[in-house]
Amino acid sequence: MQPEVLERQLERVLLKVDKPGRYVGGEWNSVTKNWNEIDLKVALAFPDIYDLGMSNLGIMLLYDQINQQPDMLAERVFSPWTDMEDQMRQHSIPLYSLESKHAIRDFDLLGISLPYEQLYTNVLNLIDLAGMPIRSLERDSSYPLIIAGGHACYNPEPMHAFIDAFVIGEGEEIIVEVARLLQRMRGASRDEQLREVAKIQGMYVPRFYDVSYHDDGTVEAITPNIEGIPQRVLKRVVTILPKPFTKFIVPNIDTVHNRAPIEIMRGCTRGCRFCHAGMVTRPVRERPVDEVMRSIAEIVENTGFEEISLLSLSSSDYVYVHELTQRIQDEYKEAGLTMSLPSLRIETASSELLDRIGDTRRSGFTFAPEAATERMRDIINKSVSDEQVLQTARDVYSRGWRTIKFYFMIGHPEETLEDVQAIIDLCKAVLKEGRRILGMKANVNVGVSTFIPKPHTPFQWVSQDTSEQILAKQKMLKAQIWQERGMHLRWTDLSSSRFEGFLSRGDRRMADVVERAWQLGCKFDAWNDSHYHDRWLQAFEENGLSPDFYNHRTRGLDEVFPWEHIDVAVHKKYLKEDYLMSLNRETRVDCRDRCFACGILPKFTKLRQGTDEMAWECPPIKPVGERGKSAERTANVTLIN
Amino acid sequence: MSDSPMAQRLRITFGKQGSLKYTSNLDIAKVWERVLRRAHLPILYTQGFNARPRLQIAIALPLGITSECELLDVALREQVKIDGLAERIMAASPDGLYVYDIEEVAVHENALEREVESAEYSITFVDGIDIDGLRNQVENMLAQDRIMKVEYNRRGKKTAYDLRPLIHDMQVDDDGQLHIHVATGTRGNVRPDMLLTELGYGEAFVHIHRTKLHIRD
Repeated sequence: MQPEVLERQLERVLLKVDKPGRYVGGEWNSVTKNWNEIDLKVALAFPDIYDLGMSNLGIMLLYDQINQQPDMLAERVFSPWTDMEDQMRQHSIPLYSLESKHAIRDFDLLGISLPYEQLYTNVLNLIDLAGMPIRSLERDSSYPLIIAGGHACYNPEPMHAFIDAFVIGEGEEIIVEVARLLQRMRGASRDEQLREVAKIQGMYVPRFYDVSYHDDGTVEAITPNIEGIPQRVLKRVVTILPKPFTKFIVPNIDTVHNRAPIEIMRGCTRGCRFCHAGMVTRPVRERPVDEVMRSIAEIVENTGFEEISLLSLSSSDYVYVHELTQRIQDEYKEAGLTMSLPSLRIETASSELLDRIGDTRRSGFTFAPEAATERMRDIINKSVSDEQVLQTARDVYSRGWRTIKFYFMIGHPEETLEDVQAIIDLCKAVLKEGRRILGMKANVNVGVSTFIPKPHTPFQWVSQDTSEQILAKQKMLKAQIWQERGMHLRWTDLSSSRFEGFLSRGDRRMADVVERAWQLGCKFDAWNDSHYHDRWLQAFEENGLSPDFYNHRTRGLDEVFPWEHIDVAVHKKYLKEDYLMSLNRETRVDCRDRCFACGILPKFTKLRQGTDEMAWECPPIKPVGERGKSAERTANVTLIN
Repeated sequence: MSDSPMAQRLRITFGKQGSLKYTSNLDIAKVWERVLRRAHLPILYTQGFNARPRLQIAIALPLGITSECELLDVALREQVKIDGLAERIMAASPDGLYVYDIEEVAVHENALEREVESAEYSITFVDGIDIDGLRNQVENMLAQDRIMKVEYNRRGKKTAYDLRPLIHDMQVDDDGQLHIHVATGTRGNVRPDMLLTELGYGEAFVHIHRTKLHIRD
């Protein structure tokens, strides 16, 4: 369908759907190049609605990288909401790009962002709406090459049948390399193209790897079936964080995070054993304050956004956090610019920092202690003390903020009902502090999610809590928190955690389950009210598989995982050691204070040698005796006593 | 808390065209806020818990309708020169947003929304129309003394009102375009799509364009 025809069709349906502004593009800073003058066309998809996808920083970075190439263009596409999908199917409108309204089928490359597993069915739906066969092997080179990247791709296997190639690791540079390769190999067969793609470091092409299984369903081996590709695909990393993107597309409609994000630090040195991001985003790289400040100035100039969000896995651990927040406050207070600093750690969120980021729009602060007993905190390696929690609460309430939000998790390995009771007791103690300071106005919001063991973490071996265990723990929380005045409880729906569980540690056989679930009508699984768990169970049953095999099974120490051939540069040996330590309640300190040789440095020795000492949190490559970070770097960490 | 003093108040006549017609009135206010910030206008913010820029759009434009006559009042904390300002703002505007005129109005002028009385629209029937049939319908409606309608408010409460005095004029031109002049604002409001339904053309695929806002003298 030609863009003009498509646009005329669109006009007739757009006023029949909710928020039509999602489907038209035309925003400030969006880039529309002349289609006929551009050689290579890339469509970038976020497989959920516009409102969510527009906050995805990764898509924006790739959009910019590609559009910087004079002979390439990048355009965006998101999942249409169900009302729009109905209209599109009814009027035979294919999935199209927002910028030039070309059918996705007419692009050379389709890059899909996969930050979390709940989006899998939406990916199938997107491919189908674009009028393409959903299985990779059924698409020849007349179709766009479909690649995917993002955190969920560190275990790509459940999606191996649908995606032609996965970006393992940081895709900022790879995507242009893949596009260049496609340009060179126009007219070649898909297989020939993919053989070359598979040689790019960080690219994983599932069709060139065979998986064999033991009789019990566990993986026996994963082996390449062609020459010249690696046994294990090592993730790609950028040596230093690329200059921040500052020409954000400014939506014409309200979106979920309607603000500009700046990544101030990638990775986290804490080593919480449940944390997928903390393991897969190593090494930890910080962005210099001056660069952040220059970027903020550019963002204000380019976008007019009124809010800047300083992103990292643990913002208050950013070494220069005090200097940065002070400078932002000094320079922008009068200009109506606010900053948000998500992911504060209790022990580094000093009262001074709270003062600075506590702007007028904010009603409170959020912290994630995750567990409430010493035993549990040792097991998950997230050590905060009750006293630190209470002191932080006093700091927040005494500055006049009424609400503290805590994130806890239930279902940690070895957790008992006493550990859950401790969560309740701690929240009540916090509320008591709040009431002492603010009276009945004080609030505690308690978000309790359910722990899901993730690949490439020390807990990849453990069994996820059973439904009975989770229900008993949630019942306990509800009984004591739900009705309490001044306390609000939110929890994760049981079926959505089971669902996330089997997709997270799924193997190749799960692809059939994903496909069947989609055929049965599953999509927008990340949205609670559109997740149909019974259809997933039906899909499992029809394929002779059981969710319990994936969720409720303690893996043998030497089991070969379905993601064994994906190398995130953290040794399996290190993870195993950490897992065993957790069983003995042994903890590891912040790896800025002591390197535990997780595997990053041996894997990326050359990269490390080529970087400035301060650019990575990992120690510089030196003889063993001289290792250890200089004292000045840790002195900035503010501890609340 | 008192607001900081307003140094100047500007009235911007702007157009909303193309795909920007799918942006709701609430969202257009946000779009404007960012346009003005990109154009470096010293916008005045409200004081208090939730600081908002002091912008005021005269009257909501229903979703899907284009316009060449929208009005926006902007409060500034410093005086700016009007000369060249429209170009500066246009240069910072997304596709579909046009600035036609900027004038200075008295700082203490009434709130814009209270001032709008009526609006004119041009309605194009994209798939063509039987012009005589449409003219008949229009004339019949204009010939009535009263057109009693029932309206439900947000709480579901019923009220009856007479639509006829809210219709100031309706004409069909030789190209089959329908031009209407109807009451708009806080003291009686006629939506063009509602009027089309009343005329029996509720299902027709139309382009609706607002051409003029009438302000109380």
